[in-house]
Amino acid sequence: MYRYDAIDKEVLADRSNEFRNQVVRRLAGELTEDQFKPLRLMNGLYLQLHAYMLRVAIPYGALNVAQVRRLAWIARTYDKGYGHFTTRQNIQFHWIKLRDTPDILDALAQVDLHAIQTSGNCIRNVTSDPRAGATAEEVDDPRVWSEAIRQWSTLHPEFSYLPRKFKIAVTASAKDRTAAKVHDVGLVLRRNRDGALGFEVMAGGGMGRTPYIGSTIRAHLPAERLLSYLEAILRVYNRHGRRDNIYKARIKILVAALGAEEFARQVEAEWLQIDAARADLPEGELARIRAAFVQPGLEALEPVSAAYEAARAANSALARFVRNNVSAHKAPGYAIVDVSLKAHDATPGDANADQLEVIADLAERYSLGEVRVTHEQNLVLPHVKQDDLLAVFEALAAAGLATPNINLVSDIIACPGLDYCALANARAIPVAQSIAQRFLDPELAEKVGELKIKISGCINACGHHHVGHIGVLGVDKKGEEFYQLTLGGSGAEDASIGQMLGPALAADQVAPAIDTLVAVYLDLRQDGERFLDTYRRTGMAPFKEAVYAVAH
Amino acid sequence: MSATYLKALTANLLAEGDVVFWARDHWAEQFADAELFSDSAAAEAALAVAKAQVRVVVDAYLIDVAEAGSGLAPVSYRERLRALGPTNELTHGKQAIGGAAIAALSAAAGAARSTGRLDLIRRK
Repeated sequence: MYRYDAIDKEVLADRSNEFRNQVVRRLAGELTEDQFKPLRLMNGLYLQLHAYMLRVAIPYGALNVAQVRRLAWIARTYDKGYGHFTTRQNIQFHWIKLRDTPDILDALAQVDLHAIQTSGNCIRNVTSDPRAGATAEEVDDPRVWSEAIRQWSTLHPEFSYLPRKFKIAVTASAKDRTAAKVHDVGLVLRRNRDGALGFEVMAGGGMGRTPYIGSTIRAHLPAERLLSYLEAILRVYNRHGRRDNIYKARIKILVAALGAEEFARQVEAEWLQIDAARADLPEGELARIRAAFVQPGLEALEPVSAAYEAARAANSALARFVRNNVSAHKAPGYAIVDVSLKAHDATPGDANADQLEVIADLAERYSLGEVRVTHEQNLVLPHVKQDDLLAVFEALAAAGLATPNINLVSDIIACPGLDYCALANARAIPVAQSIAQRFLDPELAEKVGELKIKISGCINACGHHHVGHIGVLGVDKKGEEFYQLTLGGSGAEDASIGQMLGPALAADQVAPAIDTLVAVYLDLRQDGERFLDTYRRTGMAPFKEAVYAVAH
Repeated sequence: MSATYLKALTANLLAEGDVVFWARDHWAEQFADAELFSDSAAAEAALAVAKAQVRVVVDAYLIDVAEAGSGLAPVSYRERLRALGPTNELTHGKQAIGGAAIAALSAAAGAARSTGRLDLIRRK
């Protein structure tokens, strides 16, 4: 994976020193809170309900062993022994003290981690495919392009004060594991008929109070022109984005107001003005970045491991784990292992320090030193030999990390909600737990199949409820926690925004309603349909009828 | 519903971030120790003092307090969560000390959004 060079390291050290000085001045009263707040936010430090929260960037979701161990150490030393993985491949620590933060940033910088651009109206951490470099589905390694965007966008002077935050996702597989279509800019790397690499560029996707699926503004942008084209998009947005109204300031509102065609025309016009030689990545630099992602250490193995096949035949728990949490690797004899952070009594996305250390040890021993974070709040060991799957499964199981539920009904996305977040209207975590409790039986969960439930504690939609097959949105109804259900959303390549099921439900009615929705689906589904497919075929009516017949 | 004026003053400690409640002459960790204001002039005066303590606390605001069946408690569910800690980790936050006062807060019923907190949200 990419290693920071001397310039990267110097930037982090300088930034950390700068923030240390700012914290000293704040504590001494030389800076007011109004002056300090934007500075701490630029370093990922929010004040939430119970404490400060530090959001650490994990660029394109890739971590090495030393980084995972350092995150575990920070969790243990400065937090309450755990961290929370978010829907943008970041990690948050929820019990941070302001006075400790400079030391934490130093500790992060020592392993090439930081919290820069995890808040504020700038280009945020780039999301990418957690299977990058491991899946045969991809046409190129999206990390190469993600890293180029990271370098370009880090402390970019022109784009540090945008109208609003700006999120980019990059995928190079037809199967989208990045929610590219609901990002401000989604980039899908493809080869055209001539074999040339290019990006489908989508702009104006987003969730929050006004959800939109991104519009394609260029079908095939030559890959090497990426940075100048992004610059053109950002310039048009920077010029015309609605700075007067925070609710209308995201690029999605601009694209919707202008129309995708007109927005694209303006971007193209701007692009023509840009000096490509200055703006685009030099070939040599691209080659240098690319070389950093050549995976060392993959051995030439037989495509099928007899030992593994025998273990799987003899061990039904392993077989179930493999069915749900293990995927094909591009290299014969290897596999991609999804590590579930969705045990049934767990907080979705939370990993404690002991678990992080188990993951680090397993990555070191069995996954060529790599760990990935998914936007669905799970982790990935991307390069595991089939021969080692049993050992990895047993070690994960011992740490509570082998729940065989990836993409199943209990693999629920939930934001921290009102339990932690200052913006939330309602809790999300207990709702996720109450739903998961109903699908403890792994056979039932497997029978239901792929079903993505996503829960947000407020309309800001950090829990991606708009694109849940079943979305759950916490609302404040006369001071009580109520939940608005939506059906038919998807954040994948078949992206869509969910439609409202009906009146909001009381907290204790949500899990029973999910039960009802699942029962209707099981009753109506035709050969091999997912929940989403059945909903798309039948429409809302049978689901709505059943839920409100039961609830009232 | 009683219209009786009853408020407490809350904030977060600047250096630590911890939730605190004003207790006559100091900031207390527990809601049970909070001074309760039945007079709006006194409450506003305390708030003004808190806002001047710029090196000690941030985001000071008044919260509504009422009898909640099990004793006096913040009216807003959000404020009760702040006074207790997250419901998914019962050993984290102020609730970890246990005892009668925590049990009473946990049992408090009803919920309403905190007026003070709402202003903060609007500013974000």
